[in-house]
Amino acid sequence: MEIKDFVCTGCALLCDDIGIKTEGNTIEKTYNTCRKGAARIRGDEERMTCTIKGREENIDKAITEAARILSEANKPMIYGLGNSSLEAQKKAIELASKLSAYLDDTSSFCQGPVVEAILEGKVPTCTLDEVRHLADMILFWGSDPASSHPRHLSRFSYFPRGEKRQRGWEENRTAIVIDVRKSDTSEICNKNFYRIPPGSDGELIDALTAALNGKIPKVSFGMSSKEILELANLLKKAEFGTIFAGLGLVYSLPEIEPMIKLIEALNKSSNFHLMPMVGQYNMRGFNHLLFEKTGYINRVKFDGNKVDHGPHCSVMEVLNSGETDAMLIIGSDPLGCFPKSIAEKLKNIPTIVIDPARTFTSMIADVSIPSAYTGTEAAGNAVRMDGEKVEITPFIDSKKLSDEEILKRILEAI
Amino acid sequence: MGFGQFISKPELDILIVTHRDIFQNSAYEHSRFSAEYADQSAIIILTASDMKKIGIKDNDRVLLKNKWGKVIVRAVESKEEEEHAGIAYMLNSPWSNVLVSPETNGTGVPSFKRIKATISSTEEKDVEVLPVSKWENQD
Ligand code: SF4
Repeated sequence: MEIKDFVCTGCALLCDDIGIKTEGNTIEKTYNTCRKGAARIRGDEERMTCTIKGREENIDKAITEAARILSEANKPMIYGLGNSSLEAQKKAIELASKLSAYLDDTSSFCQGPVVEAILEGKVPTCTLDEVRHLADMILFWGSDPASSHPRHLSRFSYFPRGEKRQRGWEENRTAIVIDVRKSDTSEICNKNFYRIPPGSDGELIDALTAALNGKIPKVSFGMSSKEILELANLLKKAEFGTIFAGLGLVYSLPEIEPMIKLIEALNKSSNFHLMPMVGQYNMRGFNHLLFEKTGYINRVKFDGNKVDHGPHCSVMEVLNSGETDAMLIIGSDPLGCFPKSIAEKLKNIPTIVIDPARTFTSMIADVSIPSAYTGTEAAGNAVRMDGEKVEITPFIDSKKLSDEEILKRILEAI
Repeated sequence: MGFGQFISKPELDILIVTHRDIFQNSAYEHSRFSAEYADQSAIIILTASDMKKIGIKDNDRVLLKNKWGKVIVRAVESKEEEEHAGIAYMLNSPWSNVLVSPETNGTGVPSFKRIKATISSTEEKDVEVLPVSKWENQD
């Protein structure tokens, strides 16, 4: 069978032009994907097994045990959801509210500040389609799409011809890279690569803002006032500019405010936008849903009708301080991606893992529940890195339950 | 057992900057338990002068350690034309996460991308990075 216009869930670009050739339930070939997307669509070769305390069990028993653990806990926490559909995320929010639980996602220690500024209307943003059609100035700050979002440059930001940018990258677009290392993207945008020392992003932001406000800019590292002035002048001449904020930038800035000020200074003469380079395909969807419900994008603790919020509700602080006594993890692998000394604390509390693939965390989980891959095996909706909603239609007939169905059954069992 | 182990090896303080890579990421999607993912993750990129300072060659094993843990990885010489002394690169993975501090100064955001550690050449055995099952030998 030939499938057209399938949506890839390999990253938050959610490319919707993927072709697939199948033979029964087997994927023979994928078209238009990047390497990462092709691997994602084929799925992990080791699927999760359904277990309670390491022994294989049937799914009904695993769901009952998960419900028991969560309802007996005093301060349960639900974490993950960046790789789940909006429908599953809604169920997780409902479950957290019912359990008076902590609820957090990956944005808590990555793109949260950027998404929050956008949803609170503190900074202008745009869509990726606007970038393709209108943008003449692209700034990759601490981001390396060639490695993290491989089709970003070809579908939207640099190479394509757009309505107002018929000559693409050759004449119509300037791409600038600011990074601490010579990334793959910086090799592509070679002419305009600015290398800065680790942790000095804030200093350069302030210097550029000063330059745009008519002051003489200075930094403590090897960039001269002249170079900074030239960069500021190049930026402010743009008709339509977008800054793609990567983790390199976000981790380096204690607060997002200096970036907001820089964009305000640029927008006295230009038209700049900020966009987060979101990794997991539906992290932004979770942020939108929680924001609608609570006014916060992440890091909450439900308590009856009240909602507490702040760094003390973040997954890192809650887990590290021993504040939670049971954790439900959906589509995330803390033992692979948290600081090891924090992740290891999961060994001390009952942990439930829901994931299509066998994860490092499942090795220490009390309950592991296999789910269908949203994308190839289960339907749903998701929010792209620019905030656009995308519908995902599966093509493989799977007997596995989706995250949404598993969470619904846990809710019913509580 | 050679003489080597009694001579203290030169140590160097470095700042490890972590980043992502499409090949390692695809290996993760394919199977995070695979040797391929481990091989692509357990690497540190060093500038030539730093390799010289600790007396190692391309592909030698090195010990990275700090207050939070230690890990053994393979050293690879940086391809960048410009030297970046004192700064080394690692891919974001369980191997780099061994060294990330759990302290967030109340922000909830660990310093994943800038990790201070010391590096030296090593003959030590590999350090176990990936978790072992909590439920083995339960009978
Ligand atoms: S860029 Fe992202 S969404 Fe597009 S094919 Fe690659 S992994 Fe999939």
